[in-house]
Amino acid sequence: MHSTTGMFQAFDSEAVDPRADRQAWMALLARAPMDLLESALAPWSSAAPDWLRKPETGLYMVQGRAGATGERFNLGEVTVTRCALRLASGDARHVGVAYVLGRLHRKAHLAATADALLQDATQREALDTNLLQPLRQWSAQRSAQRQAQAQSTKVEFFTVARESGGADGDEDAP
Amino acid sequence: MSAPDLAQIGPGFSDVSLGSQAVFRAALQALSHPGRPFTVECDAHIPEGAHRAAGAVLLAMLDADCTVWLSPRHATGNAAWLRFHTGCTVVASPHEAGFIWVAQGDAMPPLDTLAQGSDAYPDQSATCVLETAGIDTQDGPGAWVLSGPGIQSTTLLRAHGLAADFAAQWSANHGRFPRGVDVLLTSAECLVGLPRTTRISTAEGR
Repeated sequence: MHSTTGMFQAFDSEAVDPRADRQAWMALLARAPMDLLESALAPWSSAAPDWLRKPETGLYMVQGRAGATGERFNLGEVTVTRCALRLASGDARHVGVAYVLGRLHRKAHLAATADALLQDATQREALDTNLLQPLRQWSAQRSAQRQAQAQSTKVEFFTVARESGGADGDEDAP
Repeated sequence: MSAPDLAQIGPGFSDVSLGSQAVFRAALQALSHPGRPFTVECDAHIPEGAHRAAGAVLLAMLDADCTVWLSPRHATGNAAWLRFHTGCTVVASPHEAGFIWVAQGDAMPPLDTLAQGSDAYPDQSATCVLETAGIDTQDGPGAWVLSGPGIQSTTLLRAHGLAADFAAQWSANHGRFPRGVDVLLTSAECLVGLPRTTRISTAEGR
Protein backbone atom coordinates (compact mmCIF):
# COMPACT_ATOMS: atom_id res chain seq x y z
CA MET A 1 0.00 0.00 0.00
CA HIS A 2 2.87 2.36 0.73
CA SER A 3 4.33 1.85 -2.73
CA THR A 4 4.94 4.54 -5.28
CA THR A 5 1.60 3.82 -6.95
CA GLY A 6 -0.07 4.66 -3.66
CA MET A 7 1.57 8.04 -3.77
CA PHE A 8 0.17 8.82 -7.22
CA GLN A 9 -3.29 7.61 -6.34
CA ALA A 10 -3.47 10.34 -3.76
CA PHE A 11 -3.28 12.87 -6.59
CA ASP A 12 -5.19 11.06 -9.31
CA SER A 13 -8.35 9.91 -7.61
CA GLU A 14 -10.62 10.82 -4.72
CA ALA A 15 -9.36 9.57 -1.38
CA VAL A 16 -10.71 6.12 -0.56
CA ASP A 17 -8.56 5.77 2.53
CA PRO A 18 -10.80 4.89 5.50
CA ARG A 19 -8.53 7.02 7.68
CA ALA A 20 -9.17 10.14 5.60
CA ASP A 21 -12.32 11.06 7.57
CA ARG A 22 -10.50 10.80 10.85
CA GLN A 23 -7.54 12.76 9.55
CA ALA A 24 -9.92 15.52 8.43
CA TRP A 25 -11.68 15.86 11.78
CA MET A 26 -8.43 15.61 13.76
CA ALA A 27 -7.04 18.47 11.67
CA LEU A 28 -10.19 20.53 12.32
CA LEU A 29 -10.10 19.79 16.06
CA ALA A 30 -6.43 20.72 16.31
CA ARG A 31 -7.19 24.20 14.98
CA ALA A 32 -10.48 24.66 16.83
CA PRO A 33 -10.99 27.61 19.16
CA MET A 34 -11.53 26.70 22.82
CA ASP A 35 -15.03 28.17 23.22
CA LEU A 36 -16.47 26.03 20.40
CA LEU A 37 -14.91 22.88 21.88
CA GLU A 38 -16.05 23.69 25.42
CA SER A 39 -19.67 24.33 24.47
CA ALA A 40 -20.09 21.32 22.16
CA LEU A 41 -18.35 18.84 24.49
CA ALA A 42 -19.82 20.05 27.79
CA PRO A 43 -21.73 16.75 28.47
CA TRP A 44 -18.51 14.71 28.32
CA SER A 45 -15.75 17.04 29.39
CA SER A 46 -16.40 17.02 33.15
CA ALA A 47 -15.95 13.26 33.70
CA ALA A 48 -12.34 12.15 34.13
CA PRO A 49 -11.28 9.89 31.24
CA ASP A 50 -9.03 6.82 31.41
CA TRP A 51 -5.74 8.32 30.34
CA LEU A 52 -3.52 6.27 28.10
CA ARG A 53 -1.16 9.19 27.97
CA LYS A 54 -1.88 12.31 29.97
CA PRO A 55 -1.50 15.66 28.19
CA GLU A 56 2.19 16.43 27.80
CA THR A 57 3.86 19.35 26.11
CA GLY A 58 6.92 19.02 23.92
CA LEU A 59 8.64 20.36 20.83
CA TYR A 60 8.40 19.28 17.22
CA MET A 61 10.78 20.34 14.48
CA VAL A 62 8.85 21.70 11.50
CA GLN A 63 10.50 21.07 8.17
CA GLY A 64 9.80 22.83 4.91
CA ARG A 65 10.85 22.69 1.29
CA ALA A 66 11.61 25.83 -0.69
CA GLY A 67 8.89 26.09 -3.33
CA ALA A 68 7.53 22.81 -1.94
CA THR A 69 9.99 20.89 -4.13
CA GLY A 70 13.55 21.58 -2.91
CA GLU A 71 15.59 19.86 -0.22
CA ARG A 72 14.04 19.71 3.23
CA PHE A 73 15.24 22.27 5.71
CA ASN A 74 14.41 22.85 9.37
CA LEU A 75 12.04 25.77 9.65
CA GLY A 76 11.88 25.91 13.44
CA GLU A 77 10.45 24.24 16.50
CA VAL A 78 6.82 24.41 17.53
CA THR A 79 5.27 23.68 20.90
CA VAL A 80 2.84 20.76 20.72
CA THR A 81 0.61 19.20 23.38
CA ARG A 82 -0.53 15.61 22.87
CA CYS A 83 -2.62 13.09 24.75
CA ALA A 84 -4.45 9.78 24.31
CA LEU A 85 -7.51 8.69 26.29
CA ARG A 86 -10.44 6.30 26.59
CA LEU A 87 -13.77 7.73 27.66
CA ALA A 88 -14.94 6.24 30.94
CA SER A 89 -18.53 6.05 29.67
CA GLY A 90 -17.79 5.15 26.06
CA ASP A 91 -16.75 2.09 24.13
CA ALA A 92 -13.32 0.95 25.34
CA ARG A 93 -12.21 0.16 21.79
CA HIS A 94 -12.22 3.80 20.78
CA VAL A 95 -9.08 5.65 21.76
CA GLY A 96 -9.13 9.40 21.27
CA VAL A 97 -5.87 11.02 20.28
CA ALA A 98 -5.00 14.69 19.92
CA TYR A 99 -1.95 16.65 18.86
CA VAL A 100 -2.54 20.40 19.14
CA LEU A 101 -0.28 23.42 18.84
CA GLY A 102 0.46 25.28 22.04
CA ARG A 103 0.50 24.41 25.71
CA LEU A 104 -3.21 24.17 26.51
CA HIS A 105 -3.67 20.76 28.14
CA ARG A 106 -7.41 21.35 28.31
CA LYS A 107 -7.61 21.80 24.55
CA ALA A 108 -5.75 18.54 23.89
CA HIS A 109 -8.11 16.82 26.34
CA LEU A 110 -11.22 18.17 24.58
CA ALA A 111 -9.91 17.41 21.08
CA ALA A 112 -9.11 13.82 22.09
CA THR A 113 -12.57 13.47 23.67
CA ALA A 114 -14.15 14.58 20.40
CA ASP A 115 -11.93 12.18 18.45
CA ALA A 116 -13.03 9.25 20.64
CA LEU A 117 -16.71 10.19 20.29
CA LEU A 118 -16.50 10.65 16.52
CA GLN A 119 -15.18 7.09 16.12
CA ASP A 120 -18.38 5.85 17.74
CA ALA A 121 -20.95 5.48 14.94
CA THR A 122 -23.87 6.19 17.30
CA GLN A 123 -22.49 9.58 18.35
CA ARG A 124 -20.95 10.73 15.11
CA GLU A 125 -23.98 12.32 13.49
CA ALA A 126 -24.96 14.43 16.48
CA LEU A 127 -21.42 15.60 17.04
CA ASP A 128 -20.97 16.34 13.35
CA THR A 129 -23.86 18.84 13.54
CA ASN A 130 -22.95 20.27 16.93
CA LEU A 131 -19.20 20.51 16.59
CA LEU A 132 -17.72 19.80 13.18
CA GLN A 133 -20.21 21.92 11.18
CA PRO A 134 -19.56 25.07 13.25
CA LEU A 135 -15.84 24.32 13.09
CA ARG A 136 -15.90 24.04 9.31
CA GLN A 137 -17.78 27.34 9.09
CA TRP A 138 -15.37 29.00 11.46
CA SER A 139 -12.39 27.65 9.55
CA ALA A 140 -13.76 28.77 6.16
CA GLN A 141 -14.58 32.18 7.57
CA ARG A 142 -11.12 32.58 9.01
CA SER A 143 -9.33 31.60 5.81
CA ALA A 144 -11.56 33.96 3.79
CA GLN A 145 -10.73 36.73 6.22
CA ARG A 146 -7.01 36.09 5.93
CA GLN A 147 -7.24 35.90 2.17
CA ALA A 148 -9.04 39.24 2.04
CA GLN A 149 -6.41 40.74 4.30
CA ALA A 150 -3.61 39.49 2.09
CA GLN A 151 -5.48 40.52 -1.05
CA SER A 152 -5.65 44.15 0.11
CA THR A 153 -1.85 44.36 0.14
CA LYS A 154 -1.47 42.97 -3.35
CA VAL A 155 0.70 45.07 -5.66
CA GLU A 156 0.52 44.91 -9.43
CA PHE A 157 3.84 45.47 -11.16
CA PHE A 158 3.82 47.05 -14.59
CA THR A 159 6.85 47.25 -16.83
CA VAL A 160 7.00 50.18 -19.16
CA ALA A 161 8.75 49.15 -22.32
CA ARG A 162 11.48 51.57 -23.31
CA GLU A 163 11.14 53.17 -26.67
CA SER A 164 13.82 52.13 -29.09
CA GLY A 165 16.52 54.56 -30.28
CA GLY A 166 17.05 58.01 -28.74
CA ALA A 167 19.14 58.18 -25.55
CA ASP A 168 20.37 54.58 -25.74
CA GLY A 169 23.30 55.61 -27.91
CA ASP A 170 24.85 57.62 -25.03
CA GLU A 171 25.42 54.56 -22.81
CA ASP A 172 27.09 52.61 -25.57
CA ALA A 173 29.59 55.33 -26.33
CA PRO A 174 33.17 54.37 -25.42
CA MET B 1 5.88 1.50 10.15
CA SER B 2 2.15 1.42 10.76
CA ALA B 3 0.58 3.15 13.73
CA PRO B 4 0.10 0.85 16.70
CA ASP B 5 -3.41 -0.39 17.34
CA LEU B 6 -4.19 1.67 20.41
CA ALA B 7 -7.26 -0.38 21.32
CA GLN B 8 -4.97 -3.09 22.76
CA ILE B 9 -2.76 -0.74 24.77
CA GLY B 10 -3.26 -0.08 28.47
CA PRO B 11 -2.43 3.03 30.46
CA GLY B 12 1.10 3.83 31.64
CA PHE B 13 2.17 5.13 35.06
CA SER B 14 -0.57 7.26 36.64
CA ASP B 15 2.17 9.74 37.52
CA VAL B 16 4.99 9.38 35.02
CA SER B 17 7.69 11.06 37.11
CA LEU B 18 6.95 9.50 40.49
CA GLY B 19 6.04 6.09 39.05
CA SER B 20 9.22 5.73 37.04
CA GLN B 21 11.34 7.11 39.86
CA ALA B 22 10.00 4.45 42.24
CA VAL B 23 10.84 1.70 39.75
CA PHE B 24 14.24 3.24 39.06
CA ARG B 25 14.93 3.21 42.79
CA ALA B 26 14.14 -0.52 42.92
CA ALA B 27 16.47 -1.18 39.98
CA LEU B 28 19.22 0.88 41.64
CA GLN B 29 18.81 -1.07 44.88
CA ALA B 30 18.89 -4.37 42.98
CA LEU B 31 22.15 -3.48 41.24
CA SER B 32 23.65 -2.20 44.52
CA HIS B 33 22.81 -5.44 46.33
CA PRO B 34 23.37 -8.18 43.74
CA GLY B 35 21.43 -11.37 44.40
CA ARG B 36 18.87 -9.76 46.70
CA PRO B 37 15.27 -9.84 45.41
CA PHE B 38 13.41 -6.51 45.42
CA THR B 39 9.68 -6.12 44.89
CA VAL B 40 8.72 -3.61 42.21
CA GLU B 41 5.75 -1.36 42.92
CA CYS B 42 4.07 -0.24 39.71
CA ASP B 43 0.56 1.02 38.89
CA ALA B 44 1.03 0.92 35.11
CA HIS B 45 -0.75 -1.67 33.01
CA ILE B 46 1.77 -4.36 32.02
CA PRO B 47 0.68 -6.63 29.15
CA GLU B 48 -0.37 -10.22 29.81
CA GLY B 49 2.49 -12.66 29.36
CA ALA B 50 5.15 -10.24 30.57
CA HIS B 51 6.55 -10.16 34.08
CA ARG B 52 5.28 -7.08 35.92
CA ALA B 53 8.75 -6.37 37.28
CA ALA B 54 10.37 -6.61 33.84
CA GLY B 55 7.73 -4.48 32.13
CA ALA B 56 7.91 -1.83 34.85
CA VAL B 57 11.70 -1.56 34.64
CA LEU B 58 11.63 -1.09 30.86
CA LEU B 59 8.79 1.43 31.12
CA ALA B 60 10.84 3.42 33.63
CA MET B 61 14.25 3.20 31.94
CA LEU B 62 13.56 3.53 28.22
CA ASP B 63 13.14 6.75 26.30
CA ALA B 64 13.37 7.97 22.71
CA ASP B 65 17.18 7.68 22.70
CA CYS B 66 17.17 3.97 23.63
CA THR B 67 17.36 0.93 21.39
CA VAL B 68 15.84 -2.33 22.56
CA TRP B 69 15.81 -5.88 21.22
CA LEU B 70 12.83 -8.08 22.09
CA SER B 71 12.82 -11.87 22.15
CA PRO B 72 10.25 -13.43 19.75
CA ARG B 73 7.40 -13.63 22.28
CA HIS B 74 7.69 -9.99 23.24
CA ALA B 75 8.38 -8.83 19.69
CA THR B 76 4.98 -10.08 18.52
CA GLY B 77 2.87 -8.90 21.43
CA ASN B 78 4.51 -6.08 23.31
CA ALA B 79 6.56 -4.02 20.87
CA ALA B 80 3.68 -1.60 20.17
CA TRP B 81 3.00 -1.15 23.89
CA LEU B 82 6.64 -0.35 24.64
CA ARG B 83 6.96 2.01 21.67
CA PHE B 84 3.78 3.90 22.52
CA HIS B 85 4.75 4.56 26.10
CA THR B 86 8.51 5.10 25.82
CA GLY B 87 9.16 6.10 22.19
CA CYS B 88 12.14 3.69 22.10
CA THR B 89 13.49 2.13 18.90
CA VAL B 90 13.03 -1.63 18.49
CA VAL B 91 16.01 -3.12 16.64
CA ALA B 92 16.18 -6.41 14.73
CA SER B 93 19.48 -7.79 15.98
CA PRO B 94 20.59 -8.07 19.62
CA HIS B 95 24.11 -6.68 19.14
CA GLU B 96 22.73 -3.25 18.13
CA ALA B 97 20.59 -2.88 21.23
CA GLY B 98 21.19 -0.98 24.46
CA PHE B 99 18.51 -3.02 26.18
CA ILE B 100 17.56 -6.68 25.76
CA TRP B 101 14.22 -8.06 26.93
CA VAL B 102 13.94 -11.85 26.95
CA ALA B 103 10.57 -13.45 27.68
CA GLN B 104 10.23 -16.43 29.98
CA GLY B 105 10.84 -19.52 27.83
CA ASP B 106 12.59 -17.66 25.00
CA ALA B 107 16.28 -18.28 24.31
CA MET B 108 18.69 -15.62 25.54
CA PRO B 109 21.16 -14.36 22.93
CA PRO B 110 24.74 -15.33 23.99
CA LEU B 111 26.11 -12.63 26.30
CA ASP B 112 29.32 -12.20 24.31
CA THR B 113 27.35 -11.23 21.18
CA LEU B 114 25.77 -8.22 22.91
CA ALA B 115 27.14 -4.68 23.08
CA GLN B 116 30.07 -4.81 25.53
CA GLY B 117 30.97 -1.14 25.69
CA SER B 118 34.61 -0.12 25.38
CA ASP B 119 37.36 0.39 27.94
CA ALA B 120 36.86 4.15 27.59
CA TYR B 121 33.03 3.95 27.61
CA PRO B 122 32.01 0.82 29.57
CA ASP B 123 28.56 2.40 30.07
CA GLN B 124 27.72 1.77 26.42
CA SER B 125 27.21 -1.94 27.00
CA ALA B 126 23.82 -3.67 26.91
CA THR B 127 21.50 -4.14 29.89
CA CYS B 128 19.59 -7.43 29.79
CA VAL B 129 16.22 -7.94 31.43
CA LEU B 130 15.78 -11.72 31.64
CA GLU B 131 12.46 -13.22 32.73
CA THR B 132 13.11 -16.42 34.66
CA ALA B 133 10.75 -19.22 35.69
CA GLY B 134 11.33 -18.30 39.34
CA ILE B 135 13.95 -16.91 41.69
CA ASP B 136 14.74 -17.83 45.29
CA THR B 137 17.64 -17.54 47.69
CA GLN B 138 17.53 -21.13 49.01
CA ASP B 139 20.37 -23.60 48.87
CA GLY B 140 19.74 -26.61 46.67
CA PRO B 141 20.55 -28.11 43.29
CA GLY B 142 21.68 -25.47 40.83
CA ALA B 143 22.22 -22.81 43.49
CA TRP B 144 24.80 -20.11 42.74
CA VAL B 145 27.14 -18.61 45.29
CA LEU B 146 27.47 -14.91 44.51
CA SER B 147 30.29 -12.67 45.69
CA GLY B 148 31.67 -9.30 44.76
CA PRO B 149 30.97 -5.60 45.39
CA GLY B 150 27.71 -5.04 47.26
CA ILE B 151 27.75 -8.48 48.90
CA GLN B 152 29.10 -8.73 52.47
CA SER B 153 30.61 -12.21 52.09
CA THR B 154 28.61 -14.50 49.85
CA THR B 155 24.94 -14.93 49.03
CA LEU B 156 22.92 -17.76 47.52
CA LEU B 157 20.69 -17.45 44.49
CA ARG B 158 18.69 -19.92 42.44
CA ALA B 159 17.27 -18.73 39.11
CA HIS B 160 15.14 -21.26 37.25
CA GLY B 161 14.68 -21.58 33.52
CA LEU B 162 17.90 -19.89 32.39
CA ALA B 163 20.28 -21.26 29.74
CA ALA B 164 22.26 -24.25 31.06
CA ASP B 165 25.59 -22.55 30.35
CA PHE B 166 24.57 -19.21 31.87
CA ALA B 167 27.13 -19.48 34.70
CA ALA B 168 29.93 -20.20 32.21
CA GLN B 169 28.85 -17.28 29.99
CA TRP B 170 28.70 -15.10 33.08
CA SER B 171 32.25 -15.89 34.18
CA ALA B 172 33.47 -14.89 30.69
CA ASN B 173 31.39 -11.71 31.00
CA HIS B 174 32.91 -10.99 34.43
CA GLY B 175 36.38 -11.53 32.94
CA ARG B 176 35.86 -8.76 30.39
CA PHE B 177 35.59 -6.08 33.13
CA PRO B 178 35.36 -3.08 32.81
CA ARG B 179 33.46 -4.05 29.66
CA GLY B 180 30.56 -6.50 29.82
CA VAL B 181 26.79 -6.57 30.16
CA ASP B 182 24.64 -6.10 33.26
CA VAL B 183 21.68 -8.37 33.90
CA LEU B 184 18.40 -7.90 35.73
CA LEU B 185 16.67 -11.20 36.48
CA THR B 186 12.93 -11.05 37.11
CA SER B 187 10.30 -13.31 38.52
CA ALA B 188 6.66 -12.24 38.28
CA GLU B 189 6.92 -9.43 40.87
CA CYS B 190 10.59 -9.43 41.91
CA LEU B 191 13.80 -8.03 40.52
CA VAL B 192 17.34 -9.32 41.15
CA GLY B 193 20.39 -7.41 39.93
CA LEU B 194 23.45 -9.09 38.50
CA PRO B 195 25.99 -6.38 37.62
CA ARG B 196 29.14 -7.32 35.70
CA THR B 197 31.22 -7.06 38.88
CA THR B 198 29.47 -10.03 40.51
CA ARG B 199 31.17 -13.44 40.52
CA ILE B 200 29.08 -16.60 40.25
CA SER B 201 30.43 -19.91 41.47
CA THR B 202 28.25 -22.95 41.02
CA ALA B 203 27.70 -25.45 43.82
CA GLU B 204 29.70 -28.05 41.88
CA GLY B 205 32.75 -25.75 41.88
CA ARG B 206 32.63 -25.04 45.63
